[in-house]
Amino acid sequence: MSWTLKLAAVVGVITSLPIIPSVAAADNLKVVASFSIIADFAKNVGGDRVDIITLVGPNGDAHVYEPKPADAATVGSADVVLVNGLQFEGFLQRLVEASATKAPVVELTKGGEVLRNIEEEGHHEQDKAAKGGEGHAAEAEEGREEGHHHHGESDPHAWQSVHNAELYVKNIADAFCAADAAGCDTYRANAQSYGRQLEGLEAGIKAAVAEIPEDKRTIISSHDAFGYFEHEYGIKFLAPEGVSTESEASASDVAALIKQIRQDKASAIFVENVTNPRLIEQIASETGLKVGGELYSDALSDRNGPAATYLEMMRHNITTMKGAILGS
Amino acid sequence: MRTNWASATAIALFLSLSTSAAHAEEVTAWRLFISDHADPKVTVVDAVDGEKLDTFHLKGPASLHRSESGRTVFAVQGAAGVVTGIASGISFEDHGEHGDIDVEAPKLAGVEIAGKKPSHFVEHDGDLAAFFDGEGVARIISEKAVLEGKSDFREVKTDAPQHGVAVAYGSHVLLSEPNREKPDELPVGIRVADEAGAPIGGIHACPDLHGEASSGNILAFACATGLLVVTDGDGTPAIRHLPYADSLPDGKTTTLIGGRGLQYFLGNYGADKVVLIDPTVESDAFRLISLPTRRVHFVVDPVRAKFAYVFTEDGQLHQLDVVKGEIANSLKLTDPYSMDGHWSEPRPRVAVAGDRIVVTDPLKGVLRLVDATSFEKTGDMAVEGKPFNIVSVGGSGQTHEGE
Repeated sequence: MSWTLKLAAVVGVITSLPIIPSVAAADNLKVVASFSIIADFAKNVGGDRVDIITLVGPNGDAHVYEPKPADAATVGSADVVLVNGLQFEGFLQRLVEASATKAPVVELTKGGEVLRNIEEEGHHEQDKAAKGGEGHAAEAEEGREEGHHHHGESDPHAWQSVHNAELYVKNIADAFCAADAAGCDTYRANAQSYGRQLEGLEAGIKAAVAEIPEDKRTIISSHDAFGYFEHEYGIKFLAPEGVSTESEASASDVAALIKQIRQDKASAIFVENVTNPRLIEQIASETGLKVGGELYSDALSDRNGPAATYLEMMRHNITTMKGAILGS
Repeated sequence: MRTNWASATAIALFLSLSTSAAHAEEVTAWRLFISDHADPKVTVVDAVDGEKLDTFHLKGPASLHRSESGRTVFAVQGAAGVVTGIASGISFEDHGEHGDIDVEAPKLAGVEIAGKKPSHFVEHDGDLAAFFDGEGVARIISEKAVLEGKSDFREVKTDAPQHGVAVAYGSHVLLSEPNREKPDELPVGIRVADEAGAPIGGIHACPDLHGEASSGNILAFACATGLLVVTDGDGTPAIRHLPYADSLPDGKTTTLIGGRGLQYFLGNYGADKVVLIDPTVESDAFRLISLPTRRVHFVVDPVRAKFAYVFTEDGQLHQLDVVKGEIANSLKLTDPYSMDGHWSEPRPRVAVAGDRIVVTDPLKGVLRLVDATSFEKTGDMAVEGKPFNIVSVGGSGQTHEGE
């Protein structure tokens, strides 16, 4: 068991609403996942005992997602709602309020290692760690004026660390056990089995990074989605946009980034599946870097794409990074 | 000693900062801007305590529009041929963890945009477009310029006078296309133009175009055949047609408003129905809701995303649950206001100010107040004359002593 899991065992799964009574074994658990990566975790834990509806689907950008009345109805009829937290889903509070759901809304990042969002400090680098529990969605999800929400102090992209993915899985198993005690053994067994695959995944990522020369480990992506990957595996990311895609980079941001790219001798540049590639293509043109491919940051690909599952996404990303860096 | 002095200074500064932070105060402010049906004036009322704050005298009776930020209110005086900007006096500043509120006296912004028959007034991302039917011209100005008292508007012309609309959409302008064969009838479509008004591409058909709204990142125009749905495209706005469902009865939407907090559109559809529209789906996009009598006015709740409100001619305010697609509650507020007669006769209008729904009762000279949470009537507020159109601005934020 990794240290994050130990921490999670102490903290437990946090729910914003009371746990509902366990469902009958014959009824599948109705699960709503806020976005595709969480849905994949839930599928691996829940197996055929759960029916999952994903709000922000493959290649969708949860940062800017606008929930529909139909989403509120979906959440309203759910048994369990799984969300990332850390203000990743800016729409969450208003959606939950509109849904009047009685289901537990489970923040899967609770208890994990949380990185601070320090984009305000100028370089969009995440290299400072803070322990979990800071800046959770329920605390400061929205400003009080109409229709306005704020972004948090924490980097929400915690799944980019496989360590944290283990925590997500643990928290999902706990949530499913609370809602469906009869299926708990199955959920625990599924989580354990999937956990072994995650361990193998992480070993593969570390081995791939080890083959990249240390002076070639600075790369560029569209937005600050890879802070946890950087913190965990030692690839340094620079990005024109901050932790949310909601705010566009200014001309001065881009100019500063281009200067930094030249100073740091960045090795490769990548587009992301949830962002417009135009800005990255412009930066590539101005710095002489060739776009090294597409990274999957905040969403999986569709079923036919190279990142249809979390395991495939992480493998695709490290393979794409390594290929572009070593080929540069 | 120098070290001690430095330490003492640092401690004093810390205490000072701590004291300052402790004096941050949470403030709620809401204002109602109410135009009179007969007199050319706008009355500003504090929605929290009911105090009249000011009266602005205009050139003609006005319909009112508030900006997205709430910093400005615009009085469109169709008969007088002018649009007047009013600074609401309430503004917010985002500080990430919290928002600061700044409350000043409302005042005329010092900006008037004149022209023949101003009609539709549309904001998109801080740019305001007033369409002047009598000229077929849109005059576009930024909210920033209005607040600075600068009449820095630009003009974009269409081919002919029309009851039209324009939307400043980033570096493009969306313009209604006049009906050339029948100039007195509604526009027939939308065309995209660059900032100077030069057309880009062809006309997007939208027969009987009347009504537009935004919800989140989607803009929509109402047509006789369905909606034109506009989203950010790759370089130019992407426009697609969403036809009315075959299951709908004959009818069309001519007034459209956009959901806040949830992404949807709410439109009229026939005299005694409204339709909820999800513009992101191809099937089941339209949900028709029947009303007990003919509709007078409708608005969405910007705070409680689940609800919209419809006032009907029998004097009832209906709370519409947009998730379930049904009327959740109804409340008798006024004497009947028949929809027989001219469309512009004095009839109630609805606005939401925080936790309070406000309905004008022009023939009685009062505002009817409803608690938005309990949906119970809480009182009346007298306003001189015939209070007619109404908009609200406000919210909550922190103020810091000494700033």
